[in-house]
Amino acid sequence: MPYLLGPSIGFGLVTASILALAAVGFTMQFGVTNILNLAYGEVMATSGFVALIVNRAGLSIWFGMAAAAVFGAALSYLLNRVIFIPFARRGTKLFGMVIVTIAVGLILENSILAITGPNFFSYIVPQESTYSVGFLILTTSQIVLMGLATLAMIAVHSLLRLTRLGMAMRATASDASLARGCGIRTERIVDAGWLISGAMCGIAGVALFINTTSFTSATANSFLVVIVAAAILGGVGQPYGAMLGALVIGLTSEIAAAFLNPAYKNVVAFVILVVVLLLRPQGILAQIAVQREIAR
Amino acid sequence: MSSAFQFYVTTLLIYAGVDILAAWGLNLQFGTAGLLSFAFIVFQAAGAYTAGVLALGPQTDNGGYQHYIGGYALPFPIPILAAMAVGAVIAVPIGLIALRRLRSDYQAVALLVVSIIASSIATNETELFNGAAGISLVPHPLADQFGGDLLTYQWFYVGFTAAVCLVAYLIVHRVTHSPLGRAFRAMRDNEQAASALAKDITGLRLLAFAIGGALGALSGAILVLFIGTWAPSAWLYPETFVLLAAIIVGGTNNSLGTVVGVLLVPIGFAEGSRFLPEIGHPGLIDAGQWIAIGLMLLIFLWFRPQGILPERKHRYANDGRLVTVLDELAGWLRRSLALIQRSSR
Repeated sequence: MPYLLGPSIGFGLVTASILALAAVGFTMQFGVTNILNLAYGEVMATSGFVALIVNRAGLSIWFGMAAAAVFGAALSYLLNRVIFIPFARRGTKLFGMVIVTIAVGLILENSILAITGPNFFSYIVPQESTYSVGFLILTTSQIVLMGLATLAMIAVHSLLRLTRLGMAMRATASDASLARGCGIRTERIVDAGWLISGAMCGIAGVALFINTTSFTSATANSFLVVIVAAAILGGVGQPYGAMLGALVIGLTSEIAAAFLNPAYKNVVAFVILVVVLLLRPQGILAQIAVQREIAR
Repeated sequence: MSSAFQFYVTTLLIYAGVDILAAWGLNLQFGTAGLLSFAFIVFQAAGAYTAGVLALGPQTDNGGYQHYIGGYALPFPIPILAAMAVGAVIAVPIGLIALRRLRSDYQAVALLVVSIIASSIATNETELFNGAAGISLVPHPLADQFGGDLLTYQWFYVGFTAAVCLVAYLIVHRVTHSPLGRAFRAMRDNEQAASALAKDITGLRLLAFAIGGALGALSGAILVLFIGTWAPSAWLYPETFVLLAAIIVGGTNNSLGTVVGVLLVPIGFAEGSRFLPEIGHPGLIDAGQWIAIGLMLLIFLWFRPQGILPERKHRYANDGRLVTVLDELAGWLRRSLALIQRSSR
């Protein structure tokens, strides 16, 4: 094996974990509400900075992450209630809603910038030790992040498959008016969708900032396009597709960074996205998932 | 007027002209044809680069410190015309990638991605685009005719930009008021219906992309020939949002509304904040500007989504002729007269 391949697979798995957290949250919210939320990156950033405050107050970064999850959930819920739903009621269509989310994103990102200034920040993370697992060499926080992402994916899977809420969410995602007709309170399901996706968004924000070690108010936003790429790659609104998309994009971008120009790390991911859009605009898993929904 | 103030005013006027041209291009794609063209800045950047490298001499000039494609030192109007051609031509690959068979919000994301890919490539291909440094020392067109009188040249360039804007306005007006413009609006308002009436949606999208792209490239060319430099960092995707905000504030699919929007958003904000005192950390005013743009978008989308000058709705008679205000008035008179005649009988 070429000597760069091992570490780059390791980095790829870590990136994929962060990406999976973010992309699954993004795609669940999109599936349930049909709003393409381009302010997602900024919600990540805001939550990440909340974790920074908690961390600077002397608490462990993992407490910070919990705070960020709560904050992300609350912020997403509020954004939906205070801004997105009123706009939707006023007749703003999908198209206009994308612009509304961009405007919200601009306001959030630049509010952080106005408060923090154009500085780099980093969390205080306990002394890291490195472990070698097979051909992978990973640090403590990288292993924790991967474990966290795996747990979150299992949790999402159980939520969607085993609980009534998950079933209602899937029903709302596939046909909201039919779901309403069956007595599902779709408004509550939409609220739940924003809360869950917001919590994942907050966790992903902190995970991203831990992994990049130093961050600014713009770090999460530049990651947003990669998240959206992973979500679309898997078929938007498909949590399992987003997991797969995250894995594909995480691995290829890090391997490409090791063997090609590192500056093209994300470009490789985007090229994959463009090719997929050309060949399978509905995403990798959309067809399979649709068939599965019908079979049940 | 003092000469310093004249320099300021002329520069501002040229910037306004450039932004108006670009906003018209984007308005044609977004306002008229309904394409959420998040990659618009790529057209402007490509046009600017093309004009720059065609106006520049060979790479060995100035000690050969920069790399670029071209360097033919072409005389004045050719770089601008070539830039427009490039803007129209790159619309085809971008459009084919992003506009075919995709949902409108997917298209928006795909175009955003195109914009990011383009700026990463421009930044990293130092041999082709000279990397993040970009190109500089682009000669000013026809500057030798003015014998170093910079102020007169500034005013000349203002006049030139204004003339280009006038021609562009006539072209945009011609396009939007033609059957093609009607097809664009039909596609925007109801894609399926337009397609059922045998309108070729992909073709129309590509055409809107190409015409808007040529206008965007034209604006970039005029800007780069004026300021003489080009760098990829000046053409990142958020710049598209500024133009989009100008269009939404001014009035979607209304060329005069777009002018109002440009004067308010990019020109008003950039220049208004210039007179603010330096407070807080560097970047605070910049952040405030973006917050204000975001708020302005929300406020307008909420209270006046049609913009300051809304789109004018056209009605057409059975023979396909445009119904003007006069026709409406005549029809109303005729109907009232008939009513009076009937009641007096």
